[in-house]
Amino acid sequence: MADTMGQPATATRNTRVALWILVLALAPQIFELIWSIGTIVGWGSGRGPLQVLVAHASALLAGAPGAVFGSHDAKKAFPPDVLLALIYSYPLFAVAIVTLFMTVRSAQDYVGGIVLMALGLFALWASSDLQGMHGFSFGAGTAPRMFGVLLVALSVAIALTGLLSEGAGLSHYAWRGPLFVMASILFFALAIRPLGLVVSAFTSFLIAAMGTHETRWTETVIVGASLTLGCALLFPYVLGLPMPMFPRFLVQ
Amino acid sequence: MVDLFANLAHGFVVALSPVNLLMCLIGALVGTLVGVLPGIGTIATVAMLLPITFGLPPVGALIMLAGIYYGAQYGGSTTSILVNIPGEATSVVTAIDGHQMARQGRAGPALAIAAIGSFFAGCVATVLIAVLGAPLTKLALAFGPAEYFSLMVLGLIFAVVLAKGSVLKAIAMIVFGLLLSMVGSDIETGASRMAFNIPELADGLGFATVAMGVFGFAEIIRNLDAGAEMNRDLVQQKITGLMPTKKDLIDSTPAILRGTVLGSILGILPGGGAVIASFAAYTLEKKVAKNPSRFGRGAIEGVAAPESANNAAAQTSFIPLLTLGIPPNAVMALMVGAMTIHGIVPGPQVMQKQPDLVWGMIASMWIGNLMLIIINLPLVGIWVRLLRVPYRLMFPSIVIFCAIGIYSVNNAPVDVILAGVFGLIGYWLIKHDFEPAPLLLGMVLGPLMEENLRRALLISRGDWSVFVTRPLSAVLLAIAAGLLILTVLPNLRAKRDEVFTESES
Repeated sequence: MADTMGQPATATRNTRVALWILVLALAPQIFELIWSIGTIVGWGSGRGPLQVLVAHASALLAGAPGAVFGSHDAKKAFPPDVLLALIYSYPLFAVAIVTLFMTVRSAQDYVGGIVLMALGLFALWASSDLQGMHGFSFGAGTAPRMFGVLLVALSVAIALTGLLSEGAGLSHYAWRGPLFVMASILFFALAIRPLGLVVSAFTSFLIAAMGTHETRWTETVIVGASLTLGCALLFPYVLGLPMPMFPRFLVQ
Repeated sequence: MVDLFANLAHGFVVALSPVNLLMCLIGALVGTLVGVLPGIGTIATVAMLLPITFGLPPVGALIMLAGIYYGAQYGGSTTSILVNIPGEATSVVTAIDGHQMARQGRAGPALAIAAIGSFFAGCVATVLIAVLGAPLTKLALAFGPAEYFSLMVLGLIFAVVLAKGSVLKAIAMIVFGLLLSMVGSDIETGASRMAFNIPELADGLGFATVAMGVFGFAEIIRNLDAGAEMNRDLVQQKITGLMPTKKDLIDSTPAILRGTVLGSILGILPGGGAVIASFAAYTLEKKVAKNPSRFGRGAIEGVAAPESANNAAAQTSFIPLLTLGIPPNAVMALMVGAMTIHGIVPGPQVMQKQPDLVWGMIASMWIGNLMLIIINLPLVGIWVRLLRVPYRLMFPSIVIFCAIGIYSVNNAPVDVILAGVFGLIGYWLIKHDFEPAPLLLGMVLGPLMEENLRRALLISRGDWSVFVTRPLSAVLLAIAAGLLILTVLPNLRAKRDEVFTESES
């Protein structure tokens, strides 16, 4: 979902909005491709990049159109890649094409609606392998599909208001704050286990402080150090929460 | 009635034990601090402090968390009045008239009236919880799954009606929240839903994680947009003469009464809460005033009413939680989390099975309010000095504290990353004018709603008409439908927008 965040800062022309929707339509596939690169060096399990590329390309180009025009065997269930193309990507392709011919009156509402629609479609795909109603009792997939459809319907309505009534455009996105705050959070998450509380908290503090150009380093280092000390005393000792304090290689 | 006094007396015995008194004091102080500091809200703080309560006895833990919630309502007013920065969303309207009073050199009376109003409202709300608790628990026994489902629908519709901005967007946020709540294992079949074979997702998205993301991190990122140096129009002169004049008291008494009543009602209703209560109370004061033009220029009613209302609402929102087990807003949902940590299932049984907890907490609220009025007025100077801590130092501290807090809930680094992702999502939502509060409410009520929906349909053998044929359920749904129709009607819609534009005027 994180990759739906990169909306353009000042998109006024429709082509740019349409292009972004196109990227959004392929976002899960692109995400899996990037993720799969990790398998080359042996991280995680899953399909390799080549497999991912071939599977999604064939699903998008051949499998899904085949399914639409009925050449598929009706008794066999669709493979998930084809379903993803059918449920998620194709509707968004359609939206991207439609966008080209529309006057967007409120980009804020329009883009907001489309992204929510993508989330709804994605939820529909993600719950498509779950059991539905059997008899009068709900299956695991009934409620997610119900709310997925509802979200798609609502977001279409939101996007329509963006087309029909005047409203705010896209607002400006700063990059510095989000980037460094996220980097700080990510570093903390990755470092807390191997490096312990002291190192990770202090370093994360410094990374987060880079989020604004007003930071003065002397005071930041002093405050960061005392905060780290305070946390190192508060969490493990006063509150009794188990937490590694120092880097693993130093303790051993 | 005798029961009531016996219960309250029992509660006071529990609440007056040294440990619980200390917890109450800590909660009230932390709450005030949070209320004073802008950029960190109640939801993020309660989420952050959840792991801290692991080591505490359950009664003490809940007393402390409750103290944070109503303490924040006090603290928020201080900065609103003195600095014109509402520390809490609940004090936004207080800033309008409160800061004007401070500029006219009447900061003392403004602070005093805010404290007195809050204290009075707190007392009334405490009694109200004690009085309404038992009968509502009896009512809860008449509730089947269908009624529970309809009640939650009503709560969500309330959240929509009370959310600011577009109705459509608010409903969409609720549905998004419902979908998020379904990530993880299915309650009945155990099937893994939308978890993509990621083991960390099998248990579902933690509510505290999402809350911290969309309310903690997203808020920080958004504040950084504007630059860390906030314009702080501090009232520098020494605050002299806390005592309000006789005229102030006479003027504000009816306003306090009206604010308390309105706040209590809005607090009980699911989907309501302290924020909306303060807005509504301010609007009401303006409507009933003989000379509405005084508002915005330092009318003391404009301070008294919203401050009483938000404190009353903060406390009465415990009623649905304690009696029906339904959290009416996001902070209460976190309280559910705190209770679950200690093995307590909120609902009608709590009143009978855990009298210590329920009545102790109720009594502690009154004690906490008393503490707040005693400690807060002399401490005003200190709180104001705290505001001079620049945001460039405060925000990295909040980031680190949040990160450690989330990590320690489950000892899971993945939770920290997820909170970060939700921070970005929250930032995007803010940019597109989506309200995050309904999303959280949807996420909170999602599992409860689905469970009751499935159970109701199972009992009725798949007959959907059960929701309208059972009288209680039908009434609840009718109210929900009526509310929704009223909101969409253009006439009322204009009024609703008027309420929410108050903060910008």
